[in-house]
Amino acid sequence: MAATGWPGFAKSLKGVILDLCGVLYDSGEGDGVAIPGSIEAVKKLKASDLQLRFCTNETQATREKFVAKLQRLGFDISVSEVFPPAPAAIAVVKQRGLRPHLLVHDGLLQEFDGVDQTNPNCVIIGDAAEHFSYQNLNEAFRVLIGLENPVLFSLGQGRYYKETDGLKLDVGAYMKALEYACDLKAEVIGKPSLTFFQSVLNDMGLKPHETLMIGDDLVNDVGGAQYCGMKGVQVRTGKYRPSDEKHPTVTADGTVDNLAQAVDMILKQRGF
Amino acid sequence: MFSLLIKQRFLLLKQFSCRVLDKRKQDLKKIISNTIHYCHPVVRQIFSMAGRRALKAVLIDLSGTLHVEDTAVPGAQDALHCLRQASVSVKFVTNTTKESKRNLLERLQRLNFDLQEKEIFTSLSAARSLLEQKQHRPLLLVEDSALEDFTGIDTSHPNAVVVGLAPDHFNYQTLNRAFRMILDGAPLIAIHKARYYKRKDGLALGPGPFVTGLEYAAECKATVVGKPEKTFFTQALSELGCSPSEAVMIGDDVRDDVGGAQNAGMLGILVRTGKYREGDENKISPPPHLTCDSFPDAVEHILQNLL
Repeated sequence: MAATGWPGFAKSLKGVILDLCGVLYDSGEGDGVAIPGSIEAVKKLKASDLQLRFCTNETQATREKFVAKLQRLGFDISVSEVFPPAPAAIAVVKQRGLRPHLLVHDGLLQEFDGVDQTNPNCVIIGDAAEHFSYQNLNEAFRVLIGLENPVLFSLGQGRYYKETDGLKLDVGAYMKALEYACDLKAEVIGKPSLTFFQSVLNDMGLKPHETLMIGDDLVNDVGGAQYCGMKGVQVRTGKYRPSDEKHPTVTADGTVDNLAQAVDMILKQRGF
Repeated sequence: MFSLLIKQRFLLLKQFSCRVLDKRKQDLKKIISNTIHYCHPVVRQIFSMAGRRALKAVLIDLSGTLHVEDTAVPGAQDALHCLRQASVSVKFVTNTTKESKRNLLERLQRLNFDLQEKEIFTSLSAARSLLEQKQHRPLLLVEDSALEDFTGIDTSHPNAVVVGLAPDHFNYQTLNRAFRMILDGAPLIAIHKARYYKRKDGLALGPGPFVTGLEYAAECKATVVGKPEKTFFTQALSELGCSPSEAVMIGDDVRDDVGGAQNAGMLGILVRTGKYREGDENKISPPPHLTCDSFPDAVEHILQNLL
Protein backbone atom coordinates (compact mmCIF):
# COMPACT_ATOMS: atom_id res chain seq x y z
CA MET A 1 0.00 0.00 0.00
CA ALA A 2 1.37 3.44 -0.93
CA ALA A 3 2.60 5.60 1.95
CA THR A 4 0.26 8.46 2.78
CA GLY A 5 2.44 10.31 5.29
CA TRP A 6 5.27 12.72 4.67
CA PRO A 7 7.73 12.16 3.18
CA GLY A 8 6.69 8.64 2.19
CA PHE A 9 3.96 9.76 -0.20
CA ALA A 10 6.62 11.53 -2.30
CA LYS A 11 7.25 8.16 -3.98
CA SER A 12 3.87 8.27 -5.72
CA LEU A 13 3.87 11.95 -6.71
CA LYS A 14 3.74 13.02 -10.34
CA GLY A 15 3.82 16.80 -9.89
CA VAL A 16 4.77 19.61 -7.53
CA ILE A 17 3.29 23.10 -7.30
CA LEU A 18 5.38 25.77 -5.63
CA ASP A 19 4.32 29.05 -4.10
CA LEU A 20 6.68 31.91 -5.01
CA CYS A 21 6.90 34.60 -2.32
CA GLY A 22 8.14 33.10 0.94
CA VAL A 23 9.27 29.86 -0.71
CA LEU A 24 11.56 30.89 -3.56
CA TYR A 25 12.30 34.42 -2.37
CA ASP A 26 11.41 37.17 0.08
CA SER A 27 10.15 40.35 -1.57
CA GLY A 28 11.42 43.74 -0.52
CA GLU A 29 13.49 46.56 -1.86
CA GLY A 30 14.52 46.11 -5.47
CA ASP A 31 14.10 42.53 -6.59
CA GLY A 32 14.03 41.12 -3.08
CA VAL A 33 16.26 38.30 -1.91
CA ALA A 34 16.36 34.62 -2.94
CA ILE A 35 15.85 32.29 0.02
CA PRO A 36 19.03 30.27 0.57
CA GLY A 37 18.93 26.93 -1.25
CA SER A 38 15.80 27.68 -3.28
CA ILE A 39 17.50 28.34 -6.63
CA GLU A 40 19.25 24.98 -6.44
CA ALA A 41 16.06 23.27 -5.25
CA VAL A 42 14.11 24.46 -8.30
CA LYS A 43 16.91 23.24 -10.59
CA LYS A 44 16.81 19.80 -8.97
CA LEU A 45 13.03 19.56 -9.36
CA LYS A 46 13.24 20.49 -13.03
CA ALA A 47 15.91 17.87 -13.58
CA SER A 48 13.69 15.21 -11.99
CA ASP A 49 10.77 13.37 -13.56
CA LEU A 50 8.25 15.47 -11.64
CA GLN A 51 6.07 18.08 -13.37
CA LEU A 52 6.54 21.54 -11.94
CA ARG A 53 4.32 24.64 -11.82
CA PHE A 54 4.31 27.85 -9.78
CA CYS A 55 1.07 29.04 -8.23
CA THR A 56 1.13 32.50 -6.74
CA ASN A 57 -1.16 35.23 -5.44
CA GLU A 58 1.41 37.78 -6.56
CA THR A 59 -0.48 40.86 -7.77
CA GLN A 60 1.98 43.72 -7.51
CA ALA A 61 3.26 43.23 -11.06
CA THR A 62 2.39 41.57 -14.36
CA ARG A 63 3.41 37.96 -14.86
CA GLU A 64 6.12 38.96 -17.32
CA LYS A 65 7.61 41.49 -14.88
CA PHE A 66 7.85 39.29 -11.84
CA VAL A 67 9.10 36.26 -13.78
CA ALA A 68 11.84 38.53 -15.17
CA LYS A 69 12.63 39.55 -11.58
CA LEU A 70 12.93 35.92 -10.49
CA GLN A 71 15.15 35.15 -13.47
CA ARG A 72 17.39 38.06 -12.44
CA LEU A 73 17.62 36.49 -8.99
CA GLY A 74 18.88 33.32 -10.65
CA PHE A 75 15.76 31.15 -10.87
CA ASP A 76 15.09 28.86 -13.80
CA ILE A 77 11.45 29.81 -14.41
CA SER A 78 9.30 30.84 -17.39
CA VAL A 79 6.00 32.68 -17.81
CA SER A 80 4.04 29.65 -19.04
CA GLU A 81 4.81 27.79 -15.79
CA VAL A 82 3.43 30.54 -13.56
CA PHE A 83 -0.22 30.90 -12.44
CA PRO A 84 -1.11 34.22 -10.83
CA PRO A 85 -4.69 35.44 -10.17
CA ALA A 86 -4.95 38.40 -12.58
CA PRO A 87 -5.29 36.42 -15.83
CA ALA A 88 -7.89 34.22 -14.13
CA ALA A 89 -9.80 37.32 -12.98
CA ILE A 90 -9.75 38.80 -16.46
CA ALA A 91 -11.21 35.59 -17.85
CA VAL A 92 -13.98 35.69 -15.25
CA VAL A 93 -15.04 39.31 -15.85
CA LYS A 94 -15.00 38.83 -19.62
CA GLN A 95 -17.09 35.69 -19.32
CA ARG A 96 -19.66 37.42 -17.08
CA GLY A 97 -19.76 40.68 -19.05
CA LEU A 98 -18.46 42.73 -16.11
CA ARG A 99 -16.51 45.99 -16.25
CA PRO A 100 -14.15 46.37 -13.28
CA HIS A 101 -13.07 49.30 -11.17
CA LEU A 102 -9.49 48.38 -10.27
CA LEU A 103 -7.88 48.81 -6.86
CA VAL A 104 -4.58 47.17 -7.69
CA HIS A 105 -0.88 47.99 -7.70
CA ASP A 106 0.22 50.29 -10.52
CA GLY A 107 2.54 47.51 -11.68
CA LEU A 108 -0.44 45.26 -12.45
CA LEU A 109 -2.53 47.74 -14.47
CA GLN A 110 -0.94 46.71 -17.77
CA GLU A 111 -2.33 43.20 -17.33
CA PHE A 112 -5.80 44.73 -17.68
CA ASP A 113 -5.19 46.51 -21.02
CA GLY A 114 -7.95 45.33 -23.27
CA VAL A 115 -10.46 45.00 -20.43
CA ASP A 116 -13.35 47.46 -20.63
CA GLN A 117 -13.18 49.58 -17.45
CA THR A 118 -15.72 52.26 -18.37
CA ASN A 119 -18.83 52.65 -16.22
CA PRO A 120 -17.68 49.93 -13.80
CA ASN A 121 -20.15 47.40 -12.42
CA CYS A 122 -17.76 45.50 -10.20
CA VAL A 123 -14.54 46.02 -8.25
CA ILE A 124 -11.30 44.02 -8.47
CA ILE A 125 -8.96 44.38 -5.51
CA GLY A 126 -5.38 43.11 -5.52
CA ASP A 127 -2.28 43.67 -3.38
CA ALA A 128 -2.10 47.41 -3.92
CA ALA A 129 0.39 48.00 -1.06
CA GLU A 130 1.01 51.78 -0.72
CA HIS A 131 -1.92 52.36 -3.07
CA PHE A 132 -4.22 51.17 -0.29
CA SER A 133 -4.77 54.78 0.67
CA TYR A 134 -7.99 55.92 2.35
CA GLN A 135 -8.92 57.80 -0.81
CA ASN A 136 -8.46 54.81 -3.12
CA LEU A 137 -10.36 52.51 -0.79
CA ASN A 138 -13.12 55.06 -0.52
CA GLU A 139 -13.40 55.24 -4.29
CA ALA A 140 -13.75 51.46 -4.53
CA PHE A 141 -16.29 51.52 -1.69
CA ARG A 142 -18.36 54.19 -3.48
CA VAL A 143 -18.48 52.12 -6.67
CA LEU A 144 -19.76 49.10 -4.73
CA ILE A 145 -22.26 50.94 -2.52
CA GLY A 146 -23.74 52.58 -5.62
CA LEU A 147 -24.43 49.27 -7.40
CA GLU A 148 -27.70 47.41 -7.10
CA ASN A 149 -25.85 44.09 -7.31
CA PRO A 150 -22.35 44.83 -6.03
CA VAL A 151 -19.65 42.31 -6.97
CA LEU A 152 -16.20 42.36 -5.39
CA PHE A 153 -13.41 40.15 -6.69
CA SER A 154 -10.41 39.73 -4.44
CA LEU A 155 -7.17 38.46 -5.96
CA GLY A 156 -6.37 36.19 -3.05
CA GLN A 157 -7.39 36.60 0.59
CA GLY A 158 -4.03 36.46 2.40
CA ARG A 159 -3.82 38.12 5.79
CA TYR A 160 -0.23 39.30 5.51
CA TYR A 161 3.09 38.48 3.91
CA LYS A 162 6.73 38.94 4.74
CA GLU A 163 8.97 41.47 3.12
CA THR A 164 12.61 42.05 3.95
CA ASP A 165 11.64 44.86 6.31
CA GLY A 166 8.90 43.03 8.19
CA LEU A 167 5.32 41.77 7.90
CA LYS A 168 2.86 43.70 5.78
CA LEU A 169 -0.92 43.60 5.44
CA ASP A 170 -2.09 41.61 2.43
CA VAL A 171 -5.13 42.01 0.18
CA GLY A 172 -7.31 39.89 2.50
CA ALA A 173 -7.37 42.59 5.18
CA TYR A 174 -8.65 45.14 2.69
CA MET A 175 -11.08 42.63 1.18
CA LYS A 176 -12.57 42.16 4.66
CA ALA A 177 -12.72 45.95 5.10
CA LEU A 178 -14.80 46.38 1.93
CA GLU A 179 -16.93 43.31 2.74
CA TYR A 180 -17.79 44.85 6.10
CA ALA A 181 -18.41 48.33 4.69
CA CYS A 182 -20.77 47.08 1.98
CA ASP A 183 -22.19 44.06 3.80
CA LEU A 184 -21.29 41.67 0.99
CA LYS A 185 -19.06 38.65 0.39
CA ALA A 186 -16.13 38.89 -1.99
CA GLU A 187 -15.38 36.23 -4.61
CA VAL A 188 -11.81 35.10 -4.18
CA ILE A 189 -9.80 34.49 -7.34
CA GLY A 190 -6.46 32.89 -6.65
CA LYS A 191 -5.39 30.65 -3.76
CA PRO A 192 -7.18 29.06 -1.95
CA SER A 193 -10.02 28.94 -4.50
CA LEU A 194 -10.74 25.41 -5.72
CA THR A 195 -11.19 26.49 -9.35
CA PHE A 196 -7.83 28.23 -9.24
CA PHE A 197 -5.93 25.13 -8.11
CA GLN A 198 -7.97 23.06 -10.58
CA SER A 199 -6.85 25.24 -13.48
CA VAL A 200 -3.21 24.52 -12.58
CA LEU A 201 -3.84 20.79 -12.29
CA ASN A 202 -5.62 20.83 -15.64
CA ASP A 203 -2.61 22.46 -17.20
CA MET A 204 -0.40 19.71 -15.73
CA GLY A 205 -2.85 17.00 -16.75
CA LEU A 206 -2.66 15.56 -13.23
CA LYS A 207 -5.10 14.49 -10.51
CA PRO A 208 -5.01 16.17 -7.09
CA HIS A 209 -3.78 13.06 -5.25
CA GLU A 210 -0.73 12.91 -7.53
CA THR A 211 0.31 16.47 -6.73
CA LEU A 212 2.03 18.23 -3.83
CA MET A 213 1.75 21.96 -2.99
CA ILE A 214 4.61 23.57 -1.08
CA GLY A 215 3.95 26.99 0.46
CA ASP A 216 4.56 29.31 3.42
CA ASP A 217 0.92 30.27 3.97
CA LEU A 218 -0.72 27.52 6.02
CA VAL A 219 -4.32 28.40 5.21
CA ASN A 220 -4.14 29.60 1.62
CA ASP A 221 -1.34 27.38 0.26
CA VAL A 222 -1.51 24.21 2.34
CA GLY A 223 -5.14 24.33 3.44
CA GLY A 224 -6.35 25.33 -0.01
CA ALA A 225 -4.39 22.53 -1.66
CA GLN A 226 -5.63 19.93 0.83
CA TYR A 227 -9.23 21.06 0.28
CA CYS A 228 -8.63 20.34 -3.40
CA GLY A 229 -7.39 16.81 -2.65
CA MET A 230 -3.67 17.53 -2.93
CA LYS A 231 -1.03 17.08 -0.26
CA GLY A 232 0.31 20.27 1.32
CA VAL A 233 3.68 20.91 2.96
CA GLN A 234 4.57 24.12 4.80
CA VAL A 235 8.03 25.72 4.82
CA ARG A 236 9.34 27.62 7.82
CA THR A 237 10.35 30.59 5.68
CA GLY A 238 8.37 33.62 4.51
CA LYS A 239 5.26 34.34 6.55
CA TYR A 240 5.47 31.12 8.58
CA ARG A 241 4.92 31.58 12.32
CA PRO A 242 5.48 28.88 14.99
CA SER A 243 1.80 29.11 15.96
CA ASP A 244 0.98 27.69 12.48
CA GLU A 245 2.05 24.25 13.77
CA LYS A 246 -0.80 24.38 16.29
CA HIS A 247 -3.46 25.76 13.96
CA PRO A 248 -7.05 24.90 14.94
CA THR A 249 -8.25 23.90 11.47
CA VAL A 250 -5.33 23.21 9.14
CA THR A 251 -2.63 20.59 9.74
CA ALA A 252 0.09 20.46 7.11
CA ASP A 253 1.00 17.01 5.79
CA GLY A 254 4.58 17.98 6.57
CA THR A 255 6.57 20.97 7.84
CA VAL A 256 10.12 21.59 6.66
CA ASP A 257 12.72 24.27 7.26
CA ASN A 258 12.80 25.47 3.66
CA LEU A 259 12.26 24.48 0.04
CA ALA A 260 15.77 23.01 -0.22
CA GLN A 261 15.03 20.54 2.58
CA ALA A 262 11.63 19.65 1.09
CA VAL A 263 13.12 18.88 -2.32
CA ASP A 264 15.97 16.81 -0.86
CA MET A 265 13.48 14.73 1.12
CA ILE A 266 11.24 14.24 -1.93
CA LEU A 267 14.07 13.17 -4.22
CA LYS A 268 15.50 10.82 -1.57
CA GLN A 269 12.12 9.05 -1.36
CA ARG A 270 12.17 8.68 -5.14
CA GLY A 271 15.65 7.13 -5.06
CA PHE A 272 17.77 10.11 -6.14
CA MET B 1 -59.20 49.60 24.02
CA PHE B 2 -55.65 49.89 25.26
CA SER B 3 -56.49 48.79 28.79
CA LEU B 4 -58.77 45.99 27.53
CA LEU B 5 -56.00 44.48 25.45
CA ILE B 6 -53.63 44.73 28.40
CA LYS B 7 -56.18 43.15 30.72
CA GLN B 8 -56.70 40.31 28.26
CA ARG B 9 -52.98 39.73 27.95
CA PHE B 10 -52.40 39.62 31.70
CA LEU B 11 -55.42 37.38 32.20
CA LEU B 12 -54.00 34.94 29.71
CA LEU B 13 -50.66 34.87 31.48
CA LYS B 14 -52.23 34.56 34.94
CA GLN B 15 -54.38 31.57 33.90
CA PHE B 16 -51.35 29.70 32.71
CA SER B 17 -48.92 30.61 35.44
CA CYS B 18 -50.80 28.62 38.07
CA ARG B 19 -50.89 25.47 36.01
CA VAL B 20 -47.69 25.17 34.00
CA LEU B 21 -43.94 24.86 34.53
CA ASP B 22 -41.61 27.83 34.03
CA LYS B 23 -40.59 26.55 30.63
CA ARG B 24 -44.15 26.60 29.36
CA LYS B 25 -44.43 30.20 30.55
CA GLN B 26 -41.30 31.07 28.58
CA ASP B 27 -42.71 29.37 25.48
CA LEU B 28 -45.92 31.33 25.77
CA LYS B 29 -44.15 34.63 26.20
CA LYS B 30 -42.11 33.81 23.12
CA ILE B 31 -45.24 33.01 21.10
CA ILE B 32 -46.90 36.27 22.19
CA SER B 33 -43.77 38.26 21.45
CA ASN B 34 -43.44 36.69 17.98
CA THR B 35 -47.13 37.31 17.29
CA ILE B 36 -46.74 40.90 18.32
CA HIS B 37 -43.98 41.43 15.80
CA TYR B 38 -46.19 40.31 12.96
CA CYS B 39 -49.14 42.45 14.09
CA HIS B 40 -50.27 45.69 12.60
CA PRO B 41 -47.69 48.31 13.58
CA VAL B 42 -50.18 50.19 15.75
CA VAL B 43 -51.02 47.03 17.72
CA ARG B 44 -47.30 46.26 17.94
CA GLN B 45 -46.65 49.68 19.40
CA ILE B 46 -49.37 49.22 22.01
CA PHE B 47 -47.94 45.87 23.12
CA SER B 48 -44.37 47.15 23.19
CA MET B 49 -45.47 49.99 25.38
CA ALA B 50 -47.10 47.62 27.87
CA GLY B 51 -44.68 46.74 30.63
CA ARG B 52 -42.58 49.85 29.96
CA ARG B 53 -42.30 52.48 32.59
CA ALA B 54 -42.91 56.18 31.91
CA LEU B 55 -40.38 57.81 29.62
CA LYS B 56 -37.68 59.57 31.56
CA ALA B 57 -34.89 60.13 29.02
CA VAL B 58 -34.27 60.73 25.35
CA LEU B 59 -30.89 59.94 23.84
CA ILE B 60 -30.22 61.85 20.64
CA ASP B 61 -27.60 61.08 18.01
CA LEU B 62 -25.84 64.12 16.59
CA SER B 63 -24.29 63.72 13.10
CA GLY B 64 -27.01 62.80 10.63
CA THR B 65 -29.83 63.32 13.12
CA LEU B 66 -29.60 66.91 14.37
CA HIS B 67 -27.23 68.08 11.64
CA VAL B 68 -25.28 66.99 8.57
CA GLU B 69 -21.80 68.54 8.69
CA ASP B 70 -22.43 72.30 9.09
CA THR B 71 -26.12 72.30 8.21
CA ALA B 72 -28.83 71.77 10.81
CA VAL B 73 -31.73 69.44 9.98
CA PRO B 74 -34.67 71.81 9.27
CA GLY B 75 -36.82 72.40 12.36
CA ALA B 76 -34.49 70.47 14.64
CA GLN B 77 -33.64 73.43 16.91
CA ASP B 78 -37.32 74.15 17.62
CA ALA B 79 -38.08 70.46 18.09
CA LEU B 80 -35.31 70.18 20.68
CA HIS B 81 -36.68 73.24 22.44
CA CYS B 82 -40.16 71.60 22.58
CA LEU B 83 -38.67 68.38 23.92
CA ARG B 84 -36.95 70.25 26.71
CA GLN B 85 -40.33 71.66 27.87
CA ALA B 86 -41.45 68.10 28.60
CA SER B 87 -40.36 66.35 31.79
CA VAL B 88 -37.62 64.22 30.24
CA SER B 89 -33.83 64.33 30.47
CA VAL B 90 -31.93 64.71 27.26
CA LYS B 91 -28.47 63.43 26.40
CA PHE B 92 -26.56 63.71 23.15
CA VAL B 93 -24.73 60.51 22.34
CA THR B 94 -22.35 60.27 19.48
CA ASN B 95 -19.78 57.99 17.89
CA THR B 96 -18.22 61.01 16.25
CA THR B 97 -14.52 60.56 16.85
CA LYS B 98 -13.13 63.37 14.77
CA GLU B 99 -14.01 66.04 17.26
CA SER B 100 -13.57 66.67 20.97
CA LYS B 101 -16.61 67.47 23.17
CA ARG B 102 -15.68 71.14 23.04
CA ASN B 103 -15.62 71.17 19.21
CA LEU B 104 -18.97 69.39 19.06
CA LEU B 105 -20.51 71.87 21.48
CA GLU B 106 -19.20 74.87 19.54
CA ARG B 107 -20.51 73.54 16.24
CA LEU B 108 -23.96 72.79 17.64
CA GLN B 109 -24.19 76.16 19.35
CA ARG B 110 -23.21 77.85 16.08
CA LEU B 111 -26.20 76.06 14.54
CA ASN B 112 -28.42 77.52 17.30
CA PHE B 113 -28.93 74.31 19.25
CA ASP B 114 -29.45 74.78 22.96
CA LEU B 115 -27.22 72.34 24.88
CA GLN B 116 -24.40 72.11 27.41
CA GLU B 117 -21.09 70.23 27.29
CA LYS B 118 -22.06 67.95 30.15
CA GLU B 119 -25.04 66.68 28.13
CA ILE B 120 -22.71 65.25 25.50
CA PHE B 121 -21.52 61.66 25.86
CA THR B 122 -19.11 60.41 23.22
CA SER B 123 -17.42 57.14 22.40
CA LEU B 124 -14.13 58.98 22.95
CA SER B 125 -15.13 59.43 26.61
CA ALA B 126 -15.96 55.73 26.75
CA ALA B 127 -12.56 54.86 25.22
CA ARG B 128 -10.64 57.09 27.59
CA SER B 129 -12.21 55.51 30.65
CA LEU B 130 -11.29 52.03 29.35
CA LEU B 131 -7.66 53.09 28.78
CA GLU B 132 -7.46 54.51 32.30
CA GLN B 133 -9.06 51.43 33.78
CA LYS B 134 -6.59 49.03 32.07
CA GLN B 135 -3.62 51.43 32.25
CA HIS B 136 -2.85 51.02 28.54
CA ARG B 137 -0.48 53.31 26.67
CA PRO B 138 -2.22 53.81 23.34
CA LEU B 139 -1.16 54.31 19.75
CA LEU B 140 -3.98 56.74 18.99
CA LEU B 141 -5.27 56.46 15.43
CA VAL B 142 -7.67 59.34 15.93
CA GLU B 143 -8.02 62.74 14.29
CA ASP B 144 -5.80 65.49 15.75
CA SER B 145 -8.93 67.39 16.73
CA ALA B 146 -10.01 64.49 18.96
CA LEU B 147 -6.68 64.14 20.76
CA GLU B 148 -7.71 66.78 23.28
CA ASP B 149 -10.10 64.26 24.89
CA PHE B 150 -7.07 62.08 25.66
CA THR B 151 -4.89 64.70 27.34
CA GLY B 152 -3.08 63.26 30.27
CA ILE B 153 -2.92 59.71 28.89
CA ASP B 154 0.65 58.41 28.50
CA THR B 155 1.30 57.56 24.83
CA SER B 156 5.01 56.75 25.05
CA HIS B 157 6.07 53.18 24.10
CA PRO B 158 2.49 52.32 23.14
CA ASN B 159 1.18 48.88 24.06
CA ALA B 160 -2.38 49.20 22.77
CA VAL B 161 -3.94 50.33 19.50
CA VAL B 162 -6.94 52.69 19.56
CA VAL B 163 -8.76 53.16 16.26
CA GLY B 164 -11.19 56.01 15.69
CA LEU B 165 -12.27 57.78 12.52
CA ALA B 166 -8.96 58.96 11.20
CA PRO B 167 -8.68 59.01 7.39
CA ASP B 168 -5.20 60.57 7.67
CA HIS B 169 -3.99 57.57 9.67
CA PHE B 170 -5.67 54.89 7.54
CA ASN B 171 -2.72 54.68 5.19
CA TYR B 172 -0.71 51.57 4.45
CA GLN B 173 2.30 52.46 6.63
CA THR B 174 0.34 53.34 9.76
CA LEU B 175 -1.97 50.34 9.48
CA ASN B 176 1.04 48.07 9.08
CA ARG B 177 2.53 49.52 12.25
CA ALA B 178 -0.72 48.93 14.11
CA PHE B 179 -0.94 45.39 12.68
CA ARG B 180 2.56 44.47 13.87
CA MET B 181 1.83 45.82 17.36
CA ILE B 182 -1.32 43.73 17.58
CA LEU B 183 0.55 40.61 16.38
CA ASP B 184 2.97 41.25 19.21
CA GLY B 185 0.11 41.22 21.70
CA ALA B 186 -1.21 44.80 21.86
CA PRO B 187 -4.99 44.91 22.41
CA LEU B 188 -7.07 46.50 19.65
CA ILE B 189 -9.63 49.01 20.91
CA ALA B 190 -12.21 50.36 18.48
CA ILE B 191 -13.92 53.58 19.41
CA HIS B 192 -16.72 52.33 17.23
CA LYS B 193 -17.19 50.19 14.12
CA ALA B 194 -19.38 52.38 11.93
CA ARG B 195 -19.29 51.09 8.35
CA TYR B 196 -19.56 54.50 6.73
CA TYR B 197 -20.83 58.02 7.35
CA LYS B 198 -22.25 60.86 5.30
CA ARG B 199 -19.91 63.64 4.21
CA LYS B 200 -20.71 66.69 2.11
CA ASP B 201 -19.18 64.92 -0.90
CA GLY B 202 -20.94 61.60 -0.39
CA LEU B 203 -20.54 58.46 1.72
CA ALA B 204 -17.15 57.77 3.27
CA LEU B 205 -15.62 54.73 4.99
CA GLY B 206 -15.85 54.73 8.79
CA PRO B 207 -13.40 53.05 11.16
CA GLY B 208 -15.34 49.76 11.13
CA PRO B 209 -13.88 48.43 7.87
CA PHE B 210 -10.30 49.12 9.03
CA VAL B 211 -10.89 47.52 12.43
CA THR B 212 -12.37 44.48 10.65
CA GLY B 213 -9.33 44.29 8.36
CA LEU B 214 -6.95 44.38 11.35
CA GLU B 215 -9.04 41.77 13.22
CA TYR B 216 -8.81 39.46 10.20
CA ALA B 217 -5.09 40.00 9.60
CA ALA B 218 -4.07 39.60 13.24
CA GLU B 219 -6.75 37.01 14.09
CA CYS B 220 -7.98 38.98 17.06
CA LYS B 221 -11.20 40.58 18.26
CA ALA B 222 -11.38 44.30 18.92
CA THR B 223 -12.93 45.69 22.09
CA VAL B 224 -15.56 48.12 20.85
CA VAL B 225 -16.54 50.94 23.19
CA GLY B 226 -18.96 52.98 21.10
CA LYS B 227 -22.44 52.40 19.69
CA PRO B 228 -23.96 49.86 19.25
CA GLU B 229 -22.33 48.25 22.32
CA LYS B 230 -24.82 47.81 25.17
CA THR B 231 -22.43 49.29 27.75
CA PHE B 232 -22.25 52.54 25.77
CA PHE B 233 -26.00 53.08 26.19
CA THR B 234 -26.20 51.88 29.78
CA GLN B 235 -23.22 54.09 30.69
CA ALA B 236 -24.91 57.11 29.10
CA LEU B 237 -28.20 56.38 30.91
CA SER B 238 -26.64 55.67 34.28
CA GLU B 239 -25.40 59.27 34.31
CA LEU B 240 -29.10 60.25 34.06
CA GLY B 241 -30.16 57.80 36.75
CA CYS B 242 -32.64 55.90 34.60
CA SER B 243 -32.94 52.42 33.15
CA PRO B 244 -33.18 51.47 29.43
CA SER B 245 -36.91 50.72 29.75
CA GLU B 246 -37.45 54.37 30.61
CA ALA B 247 -35.58 55.72 27.60
CA VAL B 248 -35.81 56.19 23.84
CA MET B 249 -33.00 56.69 21.28
CA ILE B 250 -33.31 58.78 18.10
CA GLY B 251 -30.75 58.22 15.33
CA ASP B 252 -30.02 57.82 11.59
CA ASP B 253 -27.93 54.64 11.79
CA VAL B 254 -30.30 51.68 11.90
CA ARG B 255 -27.73 49.26 13.34
CA ASP B 256 -25.58 51.43 15.56
CA ASP B 257 -28.24 53.83 16.91
CA VAL B 258 -31.58 52.02 16.78
CA GLY B 259 -30.48 48.38 16.84
CA GLY B 260 -27.96 49.02 19.59
CA ALA B 261 -30.42 50.97 21.75
CA GLN B 262 -33.20 48.38 21.36
CA ASN B 263 -30.74 45.63 22.17
CA ALA B 264 -29.99 47.48 25.40
CA GLY B 265 -33.71 47.57 26.25
CA MET B 266 -34.59 51.03 24.96
CA LEU B 267 -37.08 52.06 22.27
CA GLY B 268 -35.48 53.13 18.99
CA ILE B 269 -36.66 55.75 16.49
CA LEU B 270 -35.02 55.75 13.06
CA VAL B 271 -34.89 59.05 11.14
CA ARG B 272 -34.60 59.26 7.37
CA THR B 273 -31.81 61.83 7.38
CA GLY B 274 -28.03 61.59 7.35
CA LYS B 275 -26.76 58.17 6.36
CA TYR B 276 -30.23 56.59 6.21
CA ARG B 277 -30.81 54.56 3.03
CA GLU B 278 -34.10 53.24 1.67
CA GLY B 279 -34.97 49.94 3.30
CA ASP B 280 -32.69 50.34 6.34
CA GLU B 281 -35.67 49.72 8.65
CA ASN B 282 -35.80 46.13 7.37
CA LYS B 283 -32.23 45.39 8.30
CA ILE B 284 -32.72 44.86 12.03
CA SER B 285 -34.94 42.53 13.99
CA PRO B 286 -37.05 43.60 15.79
CA PRO B 287 -37.56 46.60 13.49
CA PRO B 288 -37.42 50.16 14.83
CA HIS B 289 -40.23 51.16 17.17
CA LEU B 290 -40.80 53.98 14.66
CA THR B 291 -39.29 55.15 11.38
CA CYS B 292 -40.00 58.79 10.54
CA ASP B 293 -38.76 61.52 8.26
CA SER B 294 -36.60 63.52 10.66
CA PHE B 295 -35.89 64.59 14.21
CA PRO B 296 -38.89 67.00 14.51
CA ASP B 297 -41.24 64.11 13.58
CA ALA B 298 -39.58 61.89 16.17
CA VAL B 299 -40.07 64.53 18.86
CA GLU B 300 -43.73 64.97 17.87
CA HIS B 301 -44.24 61.22 18.21
CA ILE B 302 -42.63 61.20 21.65
CA LEU B 303 -44.67 64.15 22.91
CA GLN B 304 -47.93 62.68 21.60
CA ASN B 305 -47.49 59.00 22.35
CA LEU B 306 -44.72 58.21 24.80
CA LEU B 307 -45.17 60.61 27.68
